Amino acid sequence: MPLTGKGTASRQGIRRGETHTGGRALIVTVVLSLLLMTLGTREGPAAVFSGARSVFQTVTMPVRYVGSLVTAPFTAAGNIMANLTTDQETLSELRAENQRLVARNAELEEAALSTERLEGLLELRSAYSLTSTGARIISGSNDSWSETVTIDKGTSSGVAVGMPVTDSAGVIGQIIECGPSTSLVRLIIDENSGVSAMVQQSRAQGVLKGTATGSLRLTLIRTDQTVEVGNTVVTSGLGGVFPKGLPLGKVVSVEKSAGALYYEVVVEPLSNADSLEEVLVITAISEDQRATAEDIAEADEQETSGLTKDDALKPLQIEEDDEEETSDTDW
Amino acid sequence: MQVKDRNRNRRNIGLLALIALVLQLGIAPAITLGLGHPNFMFVFAAVVALSIGGQTGVVTAFVAGLLMDLSSTGPLGLSSLLFCISCYVLGMEVRDRIAEEPGMTVIPFAVAALGVSLCYGIAMLLYGASESLLEAIVFRALPSTLLTILGYLPFLFVMGRAGAGPLRGGGGKHRSRYTLGNR
Repeated sequence: MPLTGKGTASRQGIRRGETHTGGRALIVTVVLSLLLMTLGTREGPAAVFSGARSVFQTVTMPVRYVGSLVTAPFTAAGNIMANLTTDQETLSELRAENQRLVARNAELEEAALSTERLEGLLELRSAYSLTSTGARIISGSNDSWSETVTIDKGTSSGVAVGMPVTDSAGVIGQIIECGPSTSLVRLIIDENSGVSAMVQQSRAQGVLKGTATGSLRLTLIRTDQTVEVGNTVVTSGLGGVFPKGLPLGKVVSVEKSAGALYYEVVVEPLSNADSLEEVLVITAISEDQRATAEDIAEADEQETSGLTKDDALKPLQIEEDDEEETSDTDW
Repeated sequence: MQVKDRNRNRRNIGLLALIALVLQLGIAPAITLGLGHPNFMFVFAAVVALSIGGQTGVVTAFVAGLLMDLSSTGPLGLSSLLFCISCYVLGMEVRDRIAEEPGMTVIPFAVAALGVSLCYGIAMLLYGASESLLEAIVFRALPSTLLTILGYLPFLFVMGRAGAGPLRGGGGKHRSRYTLGNR
C-alpha cells in the first residue's frame, strides 16, 4: 500500500523534507580538503599519505587486475592494428582478410609475443648482469596528469621506492610508491621524470627529461659537444640510481637556437609505453655498474669547462638575451 | 519508513561507487584521448549530486575525490576539493534532475566537468606537474573533459531508464517508492 504519491510530487516532497542543503557539509569538506592538501606538502604527514596510497593500491589491486584482463584483448588488438596501419595504404581487400585472421589468432600471437618479451628480458638481464626481479604491469595511469604504470610486485618481493625498472629494450622508469604487493612506476616520459644520461658515442652527459608529447628531451648538452641524430642515449650511472650503460632512447633531432649554450636534443624512447607488459625491477646495483671515479671526474670537467666557457660568453650573452644569463646560472 | 528508504539509497550509492571505482581503476587507463583519461569518479559524484544533491551529494563528492586522489599521483585533497564545490553547485536545485529531465543535465554536467578539469590543470601547473598552460589545457584538461562527458552518457542512459530516481529509493516509473511491506 503506497504511503505517498508517485512521481515528481513525491520526490519534491522528500526533498523538502531534507533540512540539509549541503552548505555545512561543503564548508567541512572544503576545510578537510585544504587541510589534506596542506599536510600533504609537509614531510611527516606526507609519509602517512604515501602509506595510505600504498594501502589503497593494495586493496584495489584485484580491481586493477580485472580491468587489465578485460582490456588486454582490446589493447593487444589495438597494438596489432597500430602496427599494421603503416602499410594499410598500399593494401586493400587482402589486408582486411589478413586483419580478420590476425584478430582470430590474436590470443596465440599474444602468447608467442609474451614469450619473446620474457626472453628479451632474460637477455637484457644476463647482458647487463642485472640483479632483478620480473614483474607484470597490471594497470596504466588512471589520471591525465602523470605517466605511470602499476606492477604486481611490492615490498614483499623486495621491491623498494627508487628502484629502476626496465623492459627488454631498456629503462622505462623508476618506482615512486611501493605497497606490499604492488608498486607504482613513474615512466621516463612523465614530465616530472629526470634521468642522468649520456650520449653513448660522444659520452656527452646530460639529464633526460620527459615531455607531454611522449618524447624525451636531453638537456644540458653544451653546443661545443657532439650529438648527432641516431645516437643512442644511455644511463650515465651518475647519482647511483640507474646502472650505467642501460639504453634509454635514440636521438631524433638536434637543434641549436641562435646564441644558445645548450642543444635542444629530442630523444625517442626505445620502449613504447602503450605496449609495456613484462618488466624487470633492478633490485641492486653492483659496484661496476655505478659511475666510476673517471665518469664523475669527466662530468665535473664537462661542468667546469662549461662554466669557463659560459663565463667567457657571459658579457656577450647578457647583451644578446637576458634569458641566456638565467640558463647560465642554472648550469 | 524513511530509514528503510535511506538504507536503500546508501546501498544504491555504494553499488554505483563500486561500478565507478572499477571503471576508474580498471578501464579508464585503457581509454585515452591525447593525454586525457575519463574521470569516472567525477561522473559518479555528479550523478549523486544531480539525483540527490544536498549534504549527501557533497559528502559523496568528497569521498569520490579522495578515492581519485588516492589512486593518482596528484596532491591529496585537490580532487575532493574540486568535486565538493562542483557537486554542491550541481546539487543546488531541489529536485531529482536526472530522473525528471535527463537530457537537460548534460550541459550542467559538461560545464562542471570542464571547470573541474581546468581548475585541476591550473593547480597541477602550479604544482609543477605540467610545463605549460597550453599543454595542461589542450593535451590534458580538454580531452579529459570530453572523455568524462562521454563517460557520463551511459550512466545517464541507465539512470534515465531506471526511471524515478533509483538513487532515491525508486525502482521504476510506475512503482511507488514507499510501501509498508518488504520489497
